[in-house]
Amino acid sequence: MKVVGKNVRKVDGIALVTGQPVFTLDVTPPGAVVGKILRSPHAHAEIVRIDTSKAEELPGVLCILHHGNVPRTPYTTAGQGWPEPSPYDSFLFDRKVRFVGDRVAAVAATSEEIADEALRLIEVEYRQLPAVLVPEEAIGPGAPVIHDEEESRGIHDPQHNVAAAIDIRVGDIERGFTESDVVVETTCEFPYVQHVPLESHCVVAYLDEEDRLVIRSATQVPFHVRRIVARALGVPLSRIRVIKPRIGGGFGTKQEIILEDVAAALALRTRRPVVMKYSRAEEFVAARTRHPMKIRIKLGAKRDGTIHAIEMDVLSNTGAYGTHSLTVLSNVGSKTLPLYNKAPHLWFHGKAVYTNLPVAGAYRGYGATQGYFALEVAVDELAEKLGMDPLKLRLANHIRAGETSPIFEKIGEGRAGKAQVVKSCALEECIREGAKRIGWKEKHGKKTSEGRWVHGVGMALSMQGSGITDIDMAAATIVMNEDGSFRLLVGATDLGTGSDTILAQIAAETLGVAVEAISVYSSDTDFTPFDTGAYASSTTYVSGGAVLRAAQEARRRILEVAAAILGEPPESLDLEEGHAVSRGTGKKVPLSEVGHRAMYVTDQRHIIATASFVAPESPPPFAAFFAEVAVDVETGVVRVVKFVAAADCGMPINPALAEGQLEGAIVQGIGHTLYEELLFSPRGRVRNPNLFDYRIPTAADVPDIEVVLIPSDEPTGPYGAKSIGEIGINGPAPAIANAIYDAIGVRLYRIPFTPERVLKALHGKSMG
Amino acid sequence: MGIKRFHYARDVEEALSLLAAYEGRGALLAGGVDLARGLAPEVEGLIDVTTAGLAGISADGGGLRVGATTTLEAIRRSQEAQGYLGGFLAKVMGHVATLPLRNMATLGGAVVSAHPWADIPTALVALGAEAVWQNEELTEKASVEELYRRPFRAIFRRALLTEVRFPAWDGAFAFEKVARNAGDIALINCACGLGLDGEGKIAWARVAIGATPHRAKRLTAVEDFLTDEAPSEELWAEAAHKMKTEVEVGDDMRASAEWRRSAAAAIVRRALDRAAKGVTGDA
Repeated sequence: MKVVGKNVRKVDGIALVTGQPVFTLDVTPPGAVVGKILRSPHAHAEIVRIDTSKAEELPGVLCILHHGNVPRTPYTTAGQGWPEPSPYDSFLFDRKVRFVGDRVAAVAATSEEIADEALRLIEVEYRQLPAVLVPEEAIGPGAPVIHDEEESRGIHDPQHNVAAAIDIRVGDIERGFTESDVVVETTCEFPYVQHVPLESHCVVAYLDEEDRLVIRSATQVPFHVRRIVARALGVPLSRIRVIKPRIGGGFGTKQEIILEDVAAALALRTRRPVVMKYSRAEEFVAARTRHPMKIRIKLGAKRDGTIHAIEMDVLSNTGAYGTHSLTVLSNVGSKTLPLYNKAPHLWFHGKAVYTNLPVAGAYRGYGATQGYFALEVAVDELAEKLGMDPLKLRLANHIRAGETSPIFEKIGEGRAGKAQVVKSCALEECIREGAKRIGWKEKHGKKTSEGRWVHGVGMALSMQGSGITDIDMAAATIVMNEDGSFRLLVGATDLGTGSDTILAQIAAETLGVAVEAISVYSSDTDFTPFDTGAYASSTTYVSGGAVLRAAQEARRRILEVAAAILGEPPESLDLEEGHAVSRGTGKKVPLSEVGHRAMYVTDQRHIIATASFVAPESPPPFAAFFAEVAVDVETGVVRVVKFVAAADCGMPINPALAEGQLEGAIVQGIGHTLYEELLFSPRGRVRNPNLFDYRIPTAADVPDIEVVLIPSDEPTGPYGAKSIGEIGINGPAPAIANAIYDAIGVRLYRIPFTPERVLKALHGKSMG
Repeated sequence: MGIKRFHYARDVEEALSLLAAYEGRGALLAGGVDLARGLAPEVEGLIDVTTAGLAGISADGGGLRVGATTTLEAIRRSQEAQGYLGGFLAKVMGHVATLPLRNMATLGGAVVSAHPWADIPTALVALGAEAVWQNEELTEKASVEELYRRPFRAIFRRALLTEVRFPAWDGAFAFEKVARNAGDIALINCACGLGLDGEGKIAWARVAIGATPHRAKRLTAVEDFLTDEAPSEELWAEAAHKMKTEVEVGDDMRASAEWRRSAAAAIVRRALDRAAKGVTGDA
């Protein structure tokens, strides 16, 4: 390999670090106006009356939208493939508001100040309805019905506030536990956490010279934006163009259509370019969050440590709308249970429940993160009860290459899945290597004290997927220029992950050129081929698969032309270092000559190739995580001393970028584990919608993190690659929880592990 | 509505006359950190006082004088501050916020804003630092501790803090803080100081606790308890116990009163121990 497997420089790196105008709001069309949203002060209320007359009289106000003057079409804000697995329970604007921060109206005005003033002048009369903030109460008797509207579709049980439900059985769970020698049962809780991308949601919408609607948006899913906006606004899809420039981070929150629809509606109404962006407070309140969950897990095992039965019972809080409710819920089981595939008896069941709280959605890890917290804490407890080293228990039970799990077939993307045999798995090596680096043998079970700091180590395993089987489809186009360089057009969405770079590496490797010979362009629904978008750990595997195929086709066409020049059969030619080279004679011709000849000289044609790739399966990446923590037993402060992650992402296309994904996800996961949590007032208002009160890790908080990539060769992946974007976030919560237990003998089941919670648990233990 | 005019004050007198002229609709701007967090809606004029010649640090016998517009980072780095009490004050600055904010925030701003969760007031109260301020008629001074007992917000509506004076102490101080992550405000903090007499007994003790979540306060009962005793691990433990019973704590969304009570005792014990060892760093 010349290019793949190398740490080539990010193709967009220089533009980013030199501050080029590459982001959505770096360029504003002339004559742009500002769009702003009026938000609900109530958790649950009916809008009895809305009077916009005073606001409309304000000079500079161009348009005000509300439920009375827009189409009422139910849709989902979840940017997912088709058929859409999330319920159609959202409206552009509704007669009802369902959480504090829900949309009431939107204003377009000539300045931000005027828009703000207009929002103040809109008179809204609400009839408050009883609100429900607790998932258990939402499905209890007498709870207010949050989605009582007739038009919604696809809600599992609207009368009982159940957005989605799942019930999957394998084998006979009762028998499984009866046959088990040891059973543990535990309940773990994951709170509301937010993505906090550096760049908040933002969009520019305008009509072009042909009156087509152009939406320039910080989105992970440009093609889904086009489809969903078309539906919500009743505009033909052909009249919409979505442009995705560079994105300042997303982590899943930009897999949602939460601003594009409003901006587009305002642009259509005013016929002016409309700029909209979320403030940081709006990002916390009215973007998306991870689904808070309560997961009860029961594990049964034989005396020898073979896990025999697993039950997972999930209560997921989807907030006021059911975006990603079913699929995140499904993923809690589908991404965790196959890891311990020796168990013949499984029961995975749960509900995603509406509450009058902010809306949960896609967030890196996508249910697996919540699932692994519960599963890997429970496995630790099981090991203890069995008197086994938790590392050995995991080694004895985890899935290997050549093996399968019934779960692959049982749970898919909001429907049944597809049988799959794991073809690549280096998890065993990951466990051994990680254990060595953390010093597992020397440290586990042998807590050491340094004054008030007590040290312990803990571990956790994880797998994820690579794209969504039979659903995720990507296409790529390779265009050869006459100088032998190429343009790579992809609908894939680099949201800061570096995917443009690795896609260029895959193309360059296949075409025998340097990465510099490839100009990547992503993405524009008018000019780049379709791609479902950046989510579900799909880009390297699915979009990369498309690029590989397109490059192979382009290569075939290049060799045809080169064969004519060299007078040799195409089969005898290779592409190397910008030349077509004969393996037999050593004769060669530069690609510039091939390109020039094809375009201008003989038998003219433009060498262009487009190819698609549909995920035939979803090969899981694997990882073993190890944490060493120090717990201050006097204050309850937990410090991560060292964190080791050994991961198998197949053959890493760009090891530095893969390691960066892993490190970033681990840091984000440490934030979840130690301090992140949205807090609510009794009336459902977010109490800490800012970075002063909602803390996220900074560079100064990053502990000693060691990541190591253990390669495996995934036969279905481009150059053997699998995914790496999400898996890293699944490790910190359980690994740190288990390390805390190793240190102080106290189990914590609810993140974040604040000093207060740790100390309380410690005191509870000493009192007990 | 909103800021209409911005002034650079050439000196204290100009700042004060501008402030008076705005009749409550003006605000003094130094680092701007707190103004950026929440500017009162009635403010129409900003008066930049960083041009009024109030920045600077100088040694004053064994004490220290710091001009009001000196940034926290300037204090952290200054030779004079590092020479004062083994660099205690300079090190406290290192606990506050992040470097970019420390490059903006000023000592005067920290004293006047007097956030209950802030670290600097706790250190200043423990140190017996004296605030000097000027209004149109006169110059006044009081210890920061005393200032916080007065209606200081009203005072600074028409006065400008010009300087903070730190007295000399024969002994050592230590600061402790628990926060959620780097750069965060305190969930609880304390500053403790001790001096020993010829026989090795505690000649004086200063114990201040902040972010309880109330503004920094001295705990004279704990100070009295320590005075004339011989330093020992046991004494710190007893002082910590006293702390636990004396300290007034409360709940907020960051932490509960119950946790604060335990944590206060723990950090006071540590600070006393470190102060006694003359350790003023992060040891």
